[in-house]
Parts: sequence; C-alpha cells; structure tokens
Amino acid sequence: MSIPLSISNIDEGYVILLTGLLIVFSGLLTLTVFFKYGLPFILKFYNGLKPGPKNTNKEITCKVPGNEFTGEVAAAISMGIHLYLDEQHDNENAVLTIKQARKMYSPWSSKIYGAYNNRF
Amino acid sequence: MKKLAVIFGVISMLLFIKPVLGLTTSNTNVTTTEVAALNTNTNTSSDDDNFITEAVDGIKQFYAYTGFANAQSGHIIMIIIGIVFIYLGIKFDYEPLLLIPIGTGVIIGNIPFVMGNQTGIYETGSVLNYLYFGVVKGIYPPLIFLGIGAMTDFSSLIANPKLMLLGAAAQIGVFGTFLGALYLGFNLPEAGAIGIIGGADGPTAIFLSSKLANGINILPDGTTVKNLIGPIAIAAYSYMALVPVIQPPIMKLLTTKKERLIKMKPPRAVSQKEKMIFPVAALLLTTFISPSALPLLGMLFFGNLLKESGRTERLAETARTKLIDIVTILLGVTVGASTQADIFITKDSMLIFGLGAISFVIATMGGLLFAKLMNVFLKGDEKINPLIGASGVSAVPDSARVVHAEGLKADPTNYLLMHAMAPNVAGVIGSAIAAGILLSFLA
Repeated sequence: MSIPLSISNIDEGYVILLTGLLIVFSGLLTLTVFFKYGLPFILKFYNGLKPGPKNTNKEITCKVPGNEFTGEVAAAISMGIHLYLDEQHDNENAVLTIKQARKMYSPWSSKIYGAYNNRF
Repeated sequence: MKKLAVIFGVISMLLFIKPVLGLTTSNTNVTTTEVAALNTNTNTSSDDDNFITEAVDGIKQFYAYTGFANAQSGHIIMIIIGIVFIYLGIKFDYEPLLLIPIGTGVIIGNIPFVMGNQTGIYETGSVLNYLYFGVVKGIYPPLIFLGIGAMTDFSSLIANPKLMLLGAAAQIGVFGTFLGALYLGFNLPEAGAIGIIGGADGPTAIFLSSKLANGINILPDGTTVKNLIGPIAIAAYSYMALVPVIQPPIMKLLTTKKERLIKMKPPRAVSQKEKMIFPVAALLLTTFISPSALPLLGMLFFGNLLKESGRTERLAETARTKLIDIVTILLGVTVGASTQADIFITKDSMLIFGLGAISFVIATMGGLLFAKLMNVFLKGDEKINPLIGASGVSAVPDSARVVHAEGLKADPTNYLLMHAMAPNVAGVIGSAIAAGILLSFLA
C-alpha cells in the first residue's frame, strides 16, 4: 500500500471510511442501475430475438368513454373474466409428472425371510 | 437421595477393595485374599494408615480434576450468560435457532477443566478444536450463505431496484463502528473486524474476524492481532437477536407519524427470467467490484441460482434445509464454546459489546435517514415509507419483521413486509461487499 507511515491509524480509518462507503454505494448503485434500466432492455432484446407473431405484451388500458367507471362497466368486465375463467379447465396442461415412489429393500421388511424361514 | 447413597457406596467400595486387589506399594505379588487378610493382620496399623491416606489421595486427585476445583468466577459468569441465552431463546423466541446452540456452546466452553488433556476448544487436537477449525478458517460462513441464497427471494428487490441503496446506506454502521474502534485504541485489522458487527450479519462477521482478528496474523509493527472471533460473533448474534428491542425506539425517534403512514404501491410481478438473471448478473457486478467478498457473495448468489433455475430443486432444497441446519449447529456450538472465560472476559470484549450496540444504532439511523433523503427526490406514489430504511441492516429477516410490525402499529392496514425485504436482502449484499472492502484494505 502506498500510504506513508506517518499517517496515523485514525487518518487511515477516515480514508477507509470514505472509500469504503463510496465503493459500497457505487456497488449497489451499479446493481440498481443495471436492474432498473439494463435488465428490461436485455429482456426486450431477448424477446425481440425470439420468433413468433407477437412477443411484446402491450399494456392493457382501460379507457372508459366519458372517463367514468360505472357499475355496468365493472359488471361487464367481471362477466367477461368469469366466462374466460370458466373455459380455463378445458385447456389443461397435458404434461403429467408422476413422482415415482421408491421402495427401498430392507431385510426388516423382507418377504423372503418371513416366507422361507418358517418352513419345516 | 437413594441414588446418591448408592453411588457413594459404590465409590467407597471401590476405594476399599483397592488395596485388596494388590494395588498397594508393598506385597505386589500377593494375589489371594487369604494372604491379604494375613497381611493386614500382621501390620494393621501401618496398612490402615496407608489405605486411608491413599483413599484420601485418590479422592483429592479426583477432586482436583473436577470442575468444582477449577472453577473461577469467570466460568460461573459465562455459564450464567449461556443459561440466559437459552432462556431468551426459549422464552422470548429471540432467534432460538442461534441462541440455543450458542447458549449451550457457552456452557460447554466454560466447564472448568484441567489443561493438557485435549479437552478445551483452544487445545490443539481436541474434538471441539477440530470443529472450531471451520470458524477459524472461515469455512462455515460461506456455507451458511449458500443456504441463505437458496432461501431468499430477491423478487421484491428486482421489482424496486432503488431500494438497494437503503442496503448500502445502512453500511455506514460498519464504517462508523470501525472508526469508533480505532478511536478506542484497537489497531486497524481489529477495528475492521469489530466494525463489521454493524453489518448485522453473523456469518459475515465471523468470516471477516476470522481473516482479520484471528490471533495469528502479524501486524507491520511486529505484534500479533488479538483473537476477537468469539466476542465479535457473540456480539453480532446477540444484537441480531435483540433487533426487535433496539430498532423500534430509533424508528419512532427519526420518523414522523405522517411518514410512517405512507403506503407504498405494491411491487410489480417479477418474471422467472428476471429472477434467473439476477443471481448471475449480481454475482458478476458485485464480485468484480469487491473480489475479496467472493466466498460470501459467490455462495449467496450460487444458492439463489440453485433456487431460481428451476432445474436444481434438489440441490436448493438441501442447501436451504439440511446443509444450513448442520452448519448452523456446528457454528453455533463452536462459537459459543469459543467464549472460554479466560480468553473471553477481557476489557476488549466489553468494548466490543459497547461498540456493537452503537453500530446497530448507527446502521439503523443511516438507513432511516437515507430513506427520508430519497423521499425528497421521489414524487407521488413512488415515495417510500422511511421505516423500511431500518431494515437495511441485514439481520434477515428479523429487521424486516420489525419494520412490518412498526408499520402495522402506525396503520393496521399498511403491510410493509414485502417492501422491507428488499433493503433487507440488499443489506446482506451490502455488508458482504463492505466486508470485502475491509478485507482488501486491511488484510
């Protein structure tokens, strides 16, 4: 380290205090910036690479004429959602995974011992 | 009482038949009881003396090896502290997973014994010494971090990355305490190890103190650093357990009622893809900035990748359950046992405990004040509730829970837990980076 010996412990402490805090902040700031701006960009780019008709989900806006959200509109939307969810069960995931139940061999539960040892 | 009488009877029987079995100095060849009886008949007086003195000597020697003979006030004090730890863990549910192993460890480490029989934790070759090796060499902390990574859900942090800065702000506790320790006369590496208590992260504190204040390193001026692992670990863990006591008054002091009522908008949903990218990207960014923290951060993000990749559920499951449990048991007991009274009860330990309390206070204040500062620049529903700044001191997940409880006290419909988890996990990353910085400056 290039810090001369004449600098006391306390002075070095202040140096470490300032640089340390600066590095911690810059480190987490880098992370912040990356996840705030970098990641959405990367994901957008990645989605853009994928083939397919539409990859970007457009945000759904609920524009109501006259800017009023009446009970009728709410009822219409909830009816729509209800009907949609009602149809959901027809499109079930076709992939079935069955967890295999393994039976470990153990002499304690072995049929062989029980079956043969008692023969006369 | 009956049992006592039986035991006493057996011991006296054994002592009685000892000369009969030919263990006396005279007549070594005599084997039969007949001759032994004859022997006792011929020179009764001298043999009686012999027998009694030997019996007394035996008891004396046995007594000299018992804890009663070797106990000093320090041992008794530490055993009482151990019992208090266990009591706190059971009765008040303050981090029982840590306090009960540590409390038991404190009792184990302070049973008085005679040196030289490979019993104590500081005697080379003893079993406890081998287990303690993982602490001294900083093996356990990265393994704990692996488990923490496999447990932690970073999604609230990904949803609201600016909360990461609160985790950085709370690290002022680390550097503030570091400076405080320097003023109290500790040398640089020791002060660095003490400062990390302010990171409120037990494994990080043990990792750094095992590298900086391990009693092995030699300073430029030729002296060896003190072994402060025990006091630092105990201080870090006990203050972490006391977070529900330390933080609320400071939170009330530094925030106004109006600020505590701020409702934050719910975090957005985070896609699995983002969750998978997070550990890899964060690993690269943080370890390039602070490579010394590699063992901690590497394991933390590795654990998180195991969890989020969706392909390694088995490994993640082991890391966050069995593995971390095993390491916690070993770490707790050995750290507890390392508080052997003659090494632990010193002025330094007392100073460390004082500094530790201050460091938690500074860290909490740093987080709270920085949250208020951020609010100055944020508008509308982007505003954050300053209470969550307090959870920037890691202490996962206790400080987030404390924030949640305080938020509920101010407004029973304000649920802050998810928001508080973001600075909380950022605090873990922040304190690991801080540890890396201190390590690279001071090691």
